[in-house]
Amino acid sequence: MSWKRKWLIPLIYLLVVSRAGAQEFKTTAGEVEFLSQAALNEFTGKSDKLHGLIDFEQNLLDFYIDLNSLRTGIGLRDRHMRDNYLETDQYPFAEFTGKLSEKVNLEQNQSMEVMADGIFKIHGQEKEMEVRGTLTQVGRNEVLLEATFEVKLGDFDIAIPQVMFYELSEIQKVKINARLTR
Amino acid sequence: MMEKIRNYYLDKCVLLFMGILMFDGMAMAQLERKLLDPDAEVELIFHAPRQINLLTVEPLEEKTLHFAIMHTFGPVSGGIRNLYGLDNGANIQFSFEYAFDANFSLGASRSGRDKFYNLYGRYHLLKQTKTGSMPFSLSMVAAAGVNTSDYTFLQEEAPDFRERSSYAVQLLLARKFSNRVSVQLSPSLVYFQAPHPAYLIEGDQQLYLALGFSGKYKLTGKSSLTLQWIPNLNNDLRSNVGVGIDIEAGGHVFQMYFVTSPALNEQYLLAGGNGVPGEAFRLGFNVNRIFGTRSR
Repeated sequence: MSWKRKWLIPLIYLLVVSRAGAQEFKTTAGEVEFLSQAALNEFTGKSDKLHGLIDFEQNLLDFYIDLNSLRTGIGLRDRHMRDNYLETDQYPFAEFTGKLSEKVNLEQNQSMEVMADGIFKIHGQEKEMEVRGTLTQVGRNEVLLEATFEVKLGDFDIAIPQVMFYELSEIQKVKINARLTR
Repeated sequence: MMEKIRNYYLDKCVLLFMGILMFDGMAMAQLERKLLDPDAEVELIFHAPRQINLLTVEPLEEKTLHFAIMHTFGPVSGGIRNLYGLDNGANIQFSFEYAFDANFSLGASRSGRDKFYNLYGRYHLLKQTKTGSMPFSLSMVAAAGVNTSDYTFLQEEAPDFRERSSYAVQLLLARKFSNRVSVQLSPSLVYFQAPHPAYLIEGDQQLYLALGFSGKYKLTGKSSLTLQWIPNLNNDLRSNVGVGIDIEAGGHVFQMYFVTSPALNEQYLLAGGNGVPGEAFRLGFNVNRIFGTRSR
């Protein structure tokens, strides 16, 4: 390479790197909601601090949430949830890292059912999980992800005391709603 | 010639550098996990805004209502014949405390003993943080109450509203030392306008000073051993001693304890009437419940 062509290098670099990042969609403000339906008590917890990344080129998904940001509407219940059940001082995050089961190539305003296989991690415990969801291309640089799945507390070493059996459900229904942009 | 060699090495360097940058750009497979607030406030220094009989630094979330119902029964020394004091009937206090924001709440309580109504406010000045940037929590309590018992039986004229009034001021200084151990010091001042012999208090002075001490030792995630000790500073009245257990269950906190006095409000707690610890313990039982008032 002669000196005359050196100006090409940054251009090539930009081309390659921007291409690599071209299929990466991210968010730091996705919504998560869980629903606990027990015999005597039903409540939801919410957060809008879901961090996520979808890389369509590598078919990759990575999501996490700081569990301290979950709110159920009753402060004391939130504190008990963090302190006694999720133990957020030790395990602050819930995470999902996985792969889309097929290549996604969406047109504008098109949506599609997708399936992700990956590892869900909460309370220091990992479990393989399949999550079904819907992806919608809402703009050239924006996709919408909606997904629902269930978390069985016992699978992640989160014990429900006997006295709480009618107040807190063993199965937590989780709903995700995230707008990712590139 | 030299020029050529130098260019050669320069090229190599530039290419290597670019290579590293490109690799870096493509290897962003996972997001970095970051805490939203690494220096968050320490939580659950105590299980509830009350522990045994004393108020704690535990704050209420904005626009929530804390309801506490507290009981103390007769002396356990009555034995099984009196069902360990339960037959004697209970002094019962209901209290509602509403949080206007994360730092300020106002409460009203009513205890059966002397039909005492109390208004109080709690203000949280400092809150302990996880990194230790603030090593303790500090709150202030002020209370004003009135005895509404019927004194028409007295030979003399019944005390008027002013004479029935009493006040309390407390500073609550607390620290969660570890996941298990929390301690609170509560320097307290109580002032009775006119302590009458007919009032159900032991002391006859107007001003009472004491240093409340609350301790919590966590046994499991949901239960703790609790301790209360209120030595008096300006009189010879016996100190209040209490030991108990706190149990969390959902939005409820249950507190069961043995205590030396039937008093439940801040003023009466300092005005004596304590039995000898161990001999004259009474059973006590509190239920704490928080209600959200915000529609979601």
